[in-house]
Amino acid sequence: MPILPEFSLAGRAAILATSGGDQAPLLAQALVEAGASVFTIARTQPLLDAVLDGLPGTGNQKGAVIGSPSSESLRTAMAEFGLAHGRLDILVNDNRSMFAKPFTEITLEEWDEVHSRNVKFTFMLCQEAGLRMTQQGYGRIVNVVSELAERGMANGAAFAASQASLLSLTRSLGVEWGRSNVRVNALGMGWFSSEDLPLEVQREDLVVRYTPLRRLGHPRDIGPLLVYLCSEACDYTTGQPVYVDGGLNAHP
Amino acid sequence: MLETLSLDDRVVVITGGGTGLGLAMVRALARAGANLSIAGRRQGPIDDAAAEVKALGRDSLAVSTDVTDSAQVDRLIAATMDHFGHIDVLINNAGAVLEAVRKPIWEITDQEWHSEMDVNLTGAFFCARSASKPMADRGSGKIINVASGFGLRGGRDIYMYCCSKGGMIQLTRVLSFNLARHGITANTIVPGFIPTVNASESMGNSVPQSGDLLPIGKLGKPEDLGPLAVFLSSEASDYMSGEMFIADGGGLAAGIAPAGHAPVVPLEA
Repeated sequence: MPILPEFSLAGRAAILATSGGDQAPLLAQALVEAGASVFTIARTQPLLDAVLDGLPGTGNQKGAVIGSPSSESLRTAMAEFGLAHGRLDILVNDNRSMFAKPFTEITLEEWDEVHSRNVKFTFMLCQEAGLRMTQQGYGRIVNVVSELAERGMANGAAFAASQASLLSLTRSLGVEWGRSNVRVNALGMGWFSSEDLPLEVQREDLVVRYTPLRRLGHPRDIGPLLVYLCSEACDYTTGQPVYVDGGLNAHP
Repeated sequence: MLETLSLDDRVVVITGGGTGLGLAMVRALARAGANLSIAGRRQGPIDDAAAEVKALGRDSLAVSTDVTDSAQVDRLIAATMDHFGHIDVLINNAGAVLEAVRKPIWEITDQEWHSEMDVNLTGAFFCARSASKPMADRGSGKIINVASGFGLRGGRDIYMYCCSKGGMIQLTRVLSFNLARHGITANTIVPGFIPTVNASESMGNSVPQSGDLLPIGKLGKPEDLGPLAVFLSSEASDYMSGEMFIADGGGLAAGIAPAGHAPVVPLEA
């Protein structure tokens, strides 16, 4: 089974951040399978445990919890990262903590919390990683976002706005750090599930029947793409989203 | 899960495969394990490309083809089916880069409009129509269209190139929507400025000679598209369809303006 050496992440040090959802463990596994070492920063201990439990190799079972973004919590986490790693080559933000509610009922606190988990968390990590990456003249950042960054959904306004923020951040950082050999891209996801549900069960859901490929996505559908976007070979793409959604975006 | 990036014995048909971006994709695809049916108008370059594939231990076929002639396209697909038995991937890469017409609108003749639209867009339609039939019969296949950043933006005196490449992006969406039920996906590669001999000769000063105006500060290389073509040809991209993969040095994210930094402006009081 020939696999291009260009897809290898051997020797690369990565940080994977997750604020919600159940897909981070498989993303971490893809990075490790490609040869990277992964340090995980999660919003909660269960999110962190889920990633670490799924990873092989002693160097990869390290991580930290940042419950709410602050300079101090970041300093503590990065100090722990620094014990194991000299440099930071890759940052993957999987910050898609979900929230849905009729717009008129969303409280200011809820709005702030969604944006703190998904946007402020990403801002903070991008800033930390960008400082290191621009200095060393190499880096790859991938922001995993929901396709709601590009589409509206009833009851989804707060969450969708947080994802659109991440997309905009991706564009500006790709441009701002382009000359420092740091590439920043987004990986956009349609409707996914980490469970391997039988197709007949999946298709009971209207949204699956509406998806041209007539199935839900599974994190393994984006693992190899994530690896490519994190690789040195992905040198000429920056500031762009790549969507994986079973054809939904091309749908009326 | 990365074994899905292997193309072990997949059959890929690529048009315009003898030179430029096409040749760079051929080389990467063969290294990833694909067998190739290589089409191009001139026999010499596609014979050389086919020989390179064989030297890498993979099977290849070189079929001289003018994609604007649907009979020739049908013969390309038939010859590929005869030789390999099936088709996994079609890459519509052929395009009139060498002949791209750049003129003020009032000087463009009917013939110039039609001939460039034919090579860039109609040819891709003919290839998709012909190759998707055996793909649908088998219930699986992938179509990759190569467009351009000019398919999303206007260029000075670049009418047919912009329109045909924009058409490629739409062709991808329509193909993906209609052929999904037959197990066929379609995606577009959108390259920005990647100098090849052809492009420099024809597009003249509309193709930048350096990357100064691009956010990453340099132009792309044909080789940049190799791993991307492999990913899109592989099982690893099975859930991706109707989409664009942009490789343009940040040009579309920023605009090819003097891509500098905004002046520092403090928060308003």
